Amino acid sequence: MRVVQYLVTLIVLLSLNFLLPRMMPGDPLSCLVGDPGADAPILLTEEMRENLLEYYGLDKPLMEQYRDYLAGLVTGDLGWSIYYNAPVTSVLLGRLKWTLFLSGTAAVIYTVLGVLLGAVSAWKRGTKVDVGLVTTVFSLGSWPPFFLGMLLIIVFSFKLGAFPIGGAQSPAAVQAGGLAQVKDVLHHWFLPCLALVLTHLPGIYLLTRNSMLSVLGEDYVRTARSKGLREFRVLLRHALPNALLPIVTTIAMRFGFAIMGAMFVEVVFAYPGMGTLIYQAGAARDYPLLQGGFLLTMTFVVFFNLMADLLYARLDPRARFV
Amino acid sequence: MNDLMQVVRGKQLASGGLAVLVTFGLLAVLAPMLSPYTPTEMDVPMQSPSGLHPLGTDDVGHDILTELLHGARFSLLVGFISASLSTAIGVVLGLLAGYYGKLGFTIMRVVDIFLAIPRFPLIVFLAAFLRPGLWTLALFFLLFGWARTSRLVRSQVLGERASGYVEAARVMGAGDPHIILRHLLPSTVPVALSRFIVEFQHVILAESGLSFLGLGDPTTKSWGMMLHYAFQYPTIFISDVWVWWAVPPGLCITLVVLALTFSGFAVEELANPRLRESRQHCRDEAPSGHKATSTRTGSVRPAAEAFVGGR
Repeated sequence: MRVVQYLVTLIVLLSLNFLLPRMMPGDPLSCLVGDPGADAPILLTEEMRENLLEYYGLDKPLMEQYRDYLAGLVTGDLGWSIYYNAPVTSVLLGRLKWTLFLSGTAAVIYTVLGVLLGAVSAWKRGTKVDVGLVTTVFSLGSWPPFFLGMLLIIVFSFKLGAFPIGGAQSPAAVQAGGLAQVKDVLHHWFLPCLALVLTHLPGIYLLTRNSMLSVLGEDYVRTARSKGLREFRVLLRHALPNALLPIVTTIAMRFGFAIMGAMFVEVVFAYPGMGTLIYQAGAARDYPLLQGGFLLTMTFVVFFNLMADLLYARLDPRARFV
Repeated sequence: MNDLMQVVRGKQLASGGLAVLVTFGLLAVLAPMLSPYTPTEMDVPMQSPSGLHPLGTDDVGHDILTELLHGARFSLLVGFISASLSTAIGVVLGLLAGYYGKLGFTIMRVVDIFLAIPRFPLIVFLAAFLRPGLWTLALFFLLFGWARTSRLVRSQVLGERASGYVEAARVMGAGDPHIILRHLLPSTVPVALSRFIVEFQHVILAESGLSFLGLGDPTTKSWGMMLHYAFQYPTIFISDVWVWWAVPPGLCITLVVLALTFSGFAVEELANPRLRESRQHCRDEAPSGHKATSTRTGSVRPAAEAFVGGR
């Protein structure tokens, strides 16, 4: 049942991806060539025009275009990027590793931190510690991500000069290779990662706190306490594993958002990941690339949503019969 | 004693949040009267703050304080309208889906599909392709906002129907409209309110983000557009201009989001008695047959959900 639902969703998204550029006034090509207001004027060579015409196949009937589009997807052919003058698939894959690196490490950090702080908050509920944590986590995490990124750049890069202004690595370090390169990559990674961690922390933190609060009221927790177990052990061995149930699925879903979730931060820090790529594709009206990015993002999200659902059913047998 | 403190502190956070919201609301409504200039009036560009221009002027000579006040109108209005409309639609569909089983099944399948669609990425792509104006954008938020509300409202209604008083009302001869409007609708108020808050936050953050990316409506002067123009200015980082040009709108967005979160805490207590009770249960008596509904659909956590789903 679940799988069917996600299949339908995927088909809706694929069709939307197919229809979007064709829904625009005119057709994708005339829009490209004839729009003097475009942010970056694009000069199409004869070869690129051919490539594009072949990809969109606009002279054919709509159903045939759709069939070709689906066939292209199966073989991994996502068309030709106008801006980069290269196959969309290879452009996308070239950027994916940076996004996965940045979002992946950030996700691990904010998850661990959020669960720990949330557990502490629930345990110390109502005390100064709890209120202090709630206030701090939300005060630091409620900024629009791009704005927080800007402030971090201004303070740490321009004023203090402690970190690079943007990018993922500097050419000199790439040349040097080895340890120097690793250090350089981490140096570039720190601020964008910090921005991601701060803005994502409140969600996990609050979820853990609430989940822990309800678990701490359960019978088996009181049983554990009355057995004379130490508070720390009750918390860690009896309460936390059960409180983690909704959190695990949330985290699984978040991995799906890895590509788009870091978009603002990537753009602000000029980090060469998928977010920046999609942003540039939008600004340059590189529709094939934009479509490819859309496709990859959506597939990622839907896939991880499905994973989260299946995981939930495995972890909580009650959910299997819903 | 601790519990008492928590209630007091929680109330403080909530009433502080509410006060900030009301203040911003008033500023937005009274913007034309409060602002020293009109939004189209132009002076010498790039002035530093002075008596004439408390926050200086921007790159085309607009008074920044005036822009800020008028920006509040746009940002808050878009958020308010999309959030209230999507909540209203969600409540109506949720009530129908919860009350009429067959119809409910159909509605929930549509809801399932809408929920599985990642909406923020989708809105970014829609905006990149279609370059919508402000109100079209609000329509997108509306389109992708109702589904979660209707699912939560439906499970609330299902819960209410299971408790005997609805059956009792029917036995006494109450018709469907009476039961839905007089009994079920009031019970959905906390859920609806918390969903409204989450949507409000989401729209304000998303609008500012899209504007920042240059996908917003260039003809409006929302806070997001102000930030967009500020960050487009070539030397924004090098001089101190960002302090009075970029920080105020960014701070306003943050304050509104934060205030909504804290007001949400109060609603959450209202909506989820379990949170309220569990605190007492930790020390006192066992919960008397009070079992949480499924974590995925039942409990309402506005603030958490905002940050989980929104970004």
